[in-house]
Amino acid sequence: MTEKSKKHVDACRFCWMCRHICPIGNATGLERNTSRARALGLSLVNRGVYKLEDVVDNLYECACCGACTKECVTGYDPVLFTREARLEAAMEGVLPAYINRLVEHCLETGNAYGITELDDGLRKAVAAHVQKTDTLLFLGVDARYKVPAAAVNAIRVLEKAGVDFTVLMEEPASGWQLEYLIGAASETREQMTACAGQLNAYKKIVAFDPQDAVVFKREYRELDVGLTAAAVTFTSFLSDLVQTGALAAENSGKEVVYQDPFQLARDLGETEAARTVINAFAVCREMLLHGRDTMWAGNLLMREWMPEVMEKVAAGRIRDAEGVGADTIVTASVSEYASLKAAKQEKVKIFSLEELVLGQGNES
Amino acid sequence: MQGNEFLDAMILTELEDAVGVENCSRKEIDKVTHSIDYYWLSRMWADRGHRMPEADFVVAPGDAQETSKVLQIANYYKIPVTTWGGGGGTQGGALPVCGGILVDTKRMNRIYDVNTEGMYIECGAGSIYKHIEWAANEVGKATMHYPSSLNCSTVGGFLAHRGIGVVSTKYGKIDDMVLQMEVVLPNGDIIYTSPAPKHAAGPDLNQIFIGSEGTLGIITKAQMRIFDQPEERRFRGFLFQDMSAAFQAARELLQKFKVSVMRLYDPAETASLIKKIVGVEKPGAFMNVAYEGCRELVEVEEKILLDTFAKYGAEDLGSEYGEKWWEEKITFFYPGHMMDIPQMFGTMDTIAPYDKIEEIYWAMKEAIESNFPQARFIAHFSHWYEWGAMVYDRFIVEGEDVPKDPVEALRLHQQIWTVGVRTALAHGGVVNDHHGVGIKLGRLMKEQYGPAMQVFEGLKKSLDPNGIMNPFKLGL
Repeated sequence: MTEKSKKHVDACRFCWMCRHICPIGNATGLERNTSRARALGLSLVNRGVYKLEDVVDNLYECACCGACTKECVTGYDPVLFTREARLEAAMEGVLPAYINRLVEHCLETGNAYGITELDDGLRKAVAAHVQKTDTLLFLGVDARYKVPAAAVNAIRVLEKAGVDFTVLMEEPASGWQLEYLIGAASETREQMTACAGQLNAYKKIVAFDPQDAVVFKREYRELDVGLTAAAVTFTSFLSDLVQTGALAAENSGKEVVYQDPFQLARDLGETEAARTVINAFAVCREMLLHGRDTMWAGNLLMREWMPEVMEKVAAGRIRDAEGVGADTIVTASVSEYASLKAAKQEKVKIFSLEELVLGQGNES
Repeated sequence: MQGNEFLDAMILTELEDAVGVENCSRKEIDKVTHSIDYYWLSRMWADRGHRMPEADFVVAPGDAQETSKVLQIANYYKIPVTTWGGGGGTQGGALPVCGGILVDTKRMNRIYDVNTEGMYIECGAGSIYKHIEWAANEVGKATMHYPSSLNCSTVGGFLAHRGIGVVSTKYGKIDDMVLQMEVVLPNGDIIYTSPAPKHAAGPDLNQIFIGSEGTLGIITKAQMRIFDQPEERRFRGFLFQDMSAAFQAARELLQKFKVSVMRLYDPAETASLIKKIVGVEKPGAFMNVAYEGCRELVEVEEKILLDTFAKYGAEDLGSEYGEKWWEEKITFFYPGHMMDIPQMFGTMDTIAPYDKIEEIYWAMKEAIESNFPQARFIAHFSHWYEWGAMVYDRFIVEGEDVPKDPVEALRLHQQIWTVGVRTALAHGGVVNDHHGVGIKLGRLMKEQYGPAMQVFEGLKKSLDPNGIMNPFKLGL
């Protein structure tokens, strides 16, 4: 562990000031689901009281959503030492079996789910756009393999706006899953470098999934993997299309709240693009915690090892919407969309941004 | 706990049956995270690479019924039970020093009712107070309970230790903010205190359990008051060159109206923490005052405040410092903004009427500085009433003066505390104002109460005949 991480570990080990904004801690009520618990465990590992394998499970009960980091007025960063400790666990060979399995899938198939076949409907939608253009719509593994209807909708939205774009039938892994699971390991870097090599054939990369957008715009730069193509978020791309009139909008007047993905709001500082799109088609209201203060609503990757907790996380966010009297949440992250949908509650409807743009019902 | 592998496995299955397998743990990570709270000694112990006493079982009941089952199991096997809220206590009250079962209340975090007609929120005692505040804010109200640990401590934790927030002078202490409570007694019975807190139906059951620190039962649900957001909240900073004048000014002002915030920092704390966080550079004793409510009343109150304080020679610093302080009111609690390991420190908050409080301050300062020349003493007075105030006095030992040997460090820490609190008691103070007693100050409870202690002991013996509830805390 670097000296910087050790310093953050020792600062956080006796501090609970970010407890209230941890989406997982809020969902489980477990003391171990705090930055303080993770730091305390690691501080005792650093002092030789525990071994890393004694606390390694706890490292994977963190979404790395950065709410704690954003909350800390002193500037300590629990995500920093959590990721570093995961890398250390990988290098020491003490990863939990359920994480090892996902890492192996990532290396073998490019996605943690180990899926290799595309849904038929998505395959057809992609087939219409395999011809090379300047703009690549990068769908990402969650949309391609877990929520193909969302991927199809992303394609339909760009078609509606008359965009000339390409979608890859065989899309390389961006590396965000490996980065999340084992940090900046050599395997992660190799996957990212390979991806960057393919993406550089295009001028512009439109990242549908905010999880991909973050690694394209941040990790690729930090790890210097040679991405030269310009990466933009899907939301900012849509926002431009709305503002230029390319994407015709008819406002329904319906009031909705927007679920800011932390990757956009906190990691990339993008909060207004999706709101611009929403306000073209509906009326965007706010939950108490929104923008950079957003509360994560769960994801698909963590469902692989803690599905019950993901349902609680999503349910918590739905309660936040109910708390301000909202009956519709609009998402801009396919992973959060799936997570909120999986909560299977009836009071609040869940729409993706694409569904809103396409005028689709909640049943899609 | 003196157990054995077989019996432990048997008890575990019973606890799992009571709260669910997923809410019952014997994992190392769960044990260790519940073995260290905000108490300096537990932090120091861990910092030096030692393990604090750990619970044998960590359970998280979801409601009073599940809590009841846990306590029935504990009573049958005569296993110690320690209740844990947020773990932000400074007195070691939540430490499972005898092992046994640790009951983490945070699964009991449901907000049942935000009642704007009755002006209360009914919630599980494991709710983080900040979440209660958010729920109040969503309907345009506020809890007006803003301690430094707002973000991390639970409703039950504040109740169990008689907590207090920064706007206490106007809105009250936690014991003023609760209507009805649900409590699980040590034998598993679930009881409710009276539906309203002001009555003549015998002694106030609320006040028996508030401050009982898990020794008499477990609070599982509470109705906490909410308030209208003030139309206006104004701040004013003052600088006094004479502490006595500050006390006289404050006392006179509080006979006229209730401010929300009133905090007086002694010259040493003004020159250290206040200078660092708020930016007050001038020497003297800084006092921050806030007043709030209906706009018309605030206007009148401001005039009274300025007229009253001018009589006592207070320098008016305007509103800037007060507003800055309000923005930073919980910043003090973050690492890097207050004392931390490897420093040795402690806060010996006590309270007394105006005729004694200043004398207590000077006596404690003298006692700490003369007996422990290696200790620095700073103080502020942050909770005020018409009749008196609380002094939040702190000692800090740094560098080579902090013993390297953990047992020696423990000894010095204990000695400073004993001298400080005994001095407070000798001059008319109490063992503690709003942090509680825990294991840190239990030994001094009998010194304060004398034969009155038998009232607490009688309650303890009657409600908890097996002595399983939070042993060695509160002097019980």
